[in-house]
Amino acid sequence: MNFHSLRKIVLCVGISLTSACVTSTVNEMVFNEPIEGIGDSSVVILGRRHASDYETEPDFVACVSDHIAAGDKSITMIGELEFLNALYPWFEPRTAPLRPVDIERMLEREVVAEKLKALKLEYIIWLDGSTVRSGGSGSMACSLGGCFGFGTWSHDADYEATIWDFTDQVTVGHVNATTSGQSYMPAVIIPIPIIAPVQGTACDGIGEQLLEFLSSEY
Amino acid sequence: MRSMISAERRRTLSLATLTVVLVVLTTLAGCGPVKVVVDGNFPPPLITPLPVNLGLWYGDDFSKHEFFDEATGRKESSWIVTTGAAQVEMWNSLLTGMFTKVVHLKDKPGPVQNPTAVDAVLIPHVEELQYSIPAHTSIKVYEIWMRYSFELVTPDGEPIAQWTMTSYGKTPTAFLQSDQEAVNLAAVMALRDAGANFADHFTEVPGVQEWLQAKGVVSERATR
Repeated sequence: MNFHSLRKIVLCVGISLTSACVTSTVNEMVFNEPIEGIGDSSVVILGRRHASDYETEPDFVACVSDHIAAGDKSITMIGELEFLNALYPWFEPRTAPLRPVDIERMLEREVVAEKLKALKLEYIIWLDGSTVRSGGSGSMACSLGGCFGFGTWSHDADYEATIWDFTDQVTVGHVNATTSGQSYMPAVIIPIPIIAPVQGTACDGIGEQLLEFLSSEY
Repeated sequence: MRSMISAERRRTLSLATLTVVLVVLTTLAGCGPVKVVVDGNFPPPLITPLPVNLGLWYGDDFSKHEFFDEATGRKESSWIVTTGAAQVEMWNSLLTGMFTKVVHLKDKPGPVQNPTAVDAVLIPHVEELQYSIPAHTSIKVYEIWMRYSFELVTPDGEPIAQWTMTSYGKTPTAFLQSDQEAVNLAAVMALRDAGANFADHFTEVPGVQEWLQAKGVVSERATR
């Protein structure tokens, strides 16, 4: 066994040991898939921010958008903030359309209709949900000599993507991802966090399903 | 020899004094209120401007608005949230896009003043600001709530309409984000929400609606 093979094995073992387990369930229900792809049209992913006790994280919205853009470079993804600023104030939590039929009312404003036409918007995807820390246990004591103890905590992520066909003004699909994972932090002098990538797994799960829907290559 | 010792001793003493002063200042600085000067970018509105020449007057209570919340317990911090500059920036951007012409007035409209040719003057006030951070509540969001009052008056100060409006902004907790950064983001969201509320409902305000109709101004909303 040469040095390179040994290094790969050590790296694999290291990654396995420092990654905690995550369980994930992704459900999908879509209609009218664009078989030929979406051509030069564009897609925007927006976070729903109507709930009082949580907020869909902007980072998560950006993660799903990046996942789709990286999976199929022919798909034009509009950034969330760029879209919100370009159409301010019509997609703020107070004014955003709640149902596809509300788009018609929005398009009655001439300047809004012109802007959306210029953006060549074909799909609006709403993401709703959040990642929450659901519990923790263990204890750790730190002093000048280092830290000793063990801590564990879990995270749950629950997100739903709702796809609106902007041209036909109908809902054409729902993708739901539920993910949970347990993270650990043993400490013998140095604390070693073993983090469960709960939100990242949910992002990959939803992103992959949306990519299958939007891309002609998948 | 004696003078050399004394000079060295004086240097040691002044160094010790400086250290003590620095420690005391650092400790006192840690005890001070948490300060947030709200800062954000506010886009121009995507809206067909109303054919109105609007005068705009900001009082000091508005343009230098500052919110102070004193800590009630030893574990809490006092907060100073300064929104004045951000208020002016957001409302200037919004109103400039909402009306064909906006004129900033130097004095409050009244019978004595004779302001430039404007159809009406808008005077905004921040009546109330409330905030909450995860340390106050069990939910992991930072929130800002504001209540505005508006006066729309004629150029010589006669009232046309007076109304109140609320706005709300929130932002989730995020990794490596300080309380100050999160409160700033929530305040920016609240200001954007205030702009959205104003833009969506201005032409429906009783008093404003009648005044616009009397001037023969037809808003986009009225045509729908």
